[in-house]
Amino acid sequence: MYSVQDFFDEHEKNLELEILTGKAGLKRAIRVPEVQRPGLSLTGYLRHFASKRILIFGKVEIFFLRDLDVKTRIERLKGILTKETPAVMVSRSYRPPKELVSICEEEGIPLLRSSMTTMDLVIKMTFLLSEEFAPSTTCHGTLVEAFGVGMMIQGDSSVGKSEAALGLIERGHRLISDDIVRVKVREGSYLEGSGPELTRHLMEIRGIGIINVAHLYGAVCVRDVKSLDLVVKLEAWDDRHFYDRVGLDEKFCDILGINVPFHILPLKPGRDVVLLLETIALNHRLKEMGYHSAKEFNVKLLDTIAKRQSQGRSLREASKKDKN
Amino acid sequence: MKLVKKIKIRNELGLHARPAALIVKILQPTKSMVNFTYRNETINARSIMSVLMLAAQRNTLITVTVEGDDAEYTLSLLEKAFENKFGEDCCER
Repeated sequence: MYSVQDFFDEHEKNLELEILTGKAGLKRAIRVPEVQRPGLSLTGYLRHFASKRILIFGKVEIFFLRDLDVKTRIERLKGILTKETPAVMVSRSYRPPKELVSICEEEGIPLLRSSMTTMDLVIKMTFLLSEEFAPSTTCHGTLVEAFGVGMMIQGDSSVGKSEAALGLIERGHRLISDDIVRVKVREGSYLEGSGPELTRHLMEIRGIGIINVAHLYGAVCVRDVKSLDLVVKLEAWDDRHFYDRVGLDEKFCDILGINVPFHILPLKPGRDVVLLLETIALNHRLKEMGYHSAKEFNVKLLDTIAKRQSQGRSLREASKKDKN
Repeated sequence: MKLVKKIKIRNELGLHARPAALIVKILQPTKSMVNFTYRNETINARSIMSVLMLAAQRNTLITVTVEGDDAEYTLSLLEKAFENKFGEDCCER
């Protein structure tokens, strides 16, 4: 449950917030990632009123309330301030009408004030709330950034995920999180991974124990969040399995409803995992730029075959003519 | 086979580094998939960093999910470890 208190603690500075009254209601849950300027609802029109949204009182609302007589003011405010209202906010540091303060206090609805302009507050709040409510999951894997590509290394325990990541770090790439990756959908279209705060920058290497990568290699080799661009699964080499030899078919895996390019990387002694991971990352960048090595080669190959065929045909036709 | 059980953490300090290492050690020879769920977070119990990340304290419940052929045996090993307070707190009482 995401409470008003959580929201306040997280964004107090960012949104320049202060609590005016209704501290008792800070436990109230924010259930929808939406805010609402009451506007029309203050005229008494309450059909389809979204009562679960955080209410934001801007210039228009404050001045409209001032124009009303006290009785109507109370009546209209009581109409929109319900048990479900998570919180009320006043923008531009306006002084809220006395009635608003007293109702919020009585009902235990947190009344917050921000010095931001109404529009900025609405935009920022919508953005922050949708971030908070974005679908998220925890994945078992190690997230690294190589050549700017966010790569999640997965595989069974002790297959060598951490060692591979350590190798990448040693070559100047960055660690985001080892073993556990919190993945979140951003803007509904791409994924972003981060590590839990407690184990940030830490890695566990068999035989050594827990190491702090930021201390060992410096701040340059760590990063807190990174988009998740591809997933590589490390697995022990299996002779019965047929591994991708051409790379024409692109595989994807589904994380939170978003397709992420997916590679299976078989391991066996002599295969340099770090180099292979770097190559996958680089190849991914190349594909993003529009160059697909395997496809391009295939086009060239098809061209050559077609040319040979037509040459062969014309040769045969020529020889037929000669015979005739 | 899939088994789900809530196990209470009994040792004074909660799931700190040593108990986490012990859990991972106990699980090493077993085959089943073992997940811990704590505060809406589900993690792979074979990964020490994940177990540490939970930072689970004393007298809280961890939902243990074991799935696989040796689920019953794996769960009994885990239960025993939790019950014995991971060999800690021997001077208590």
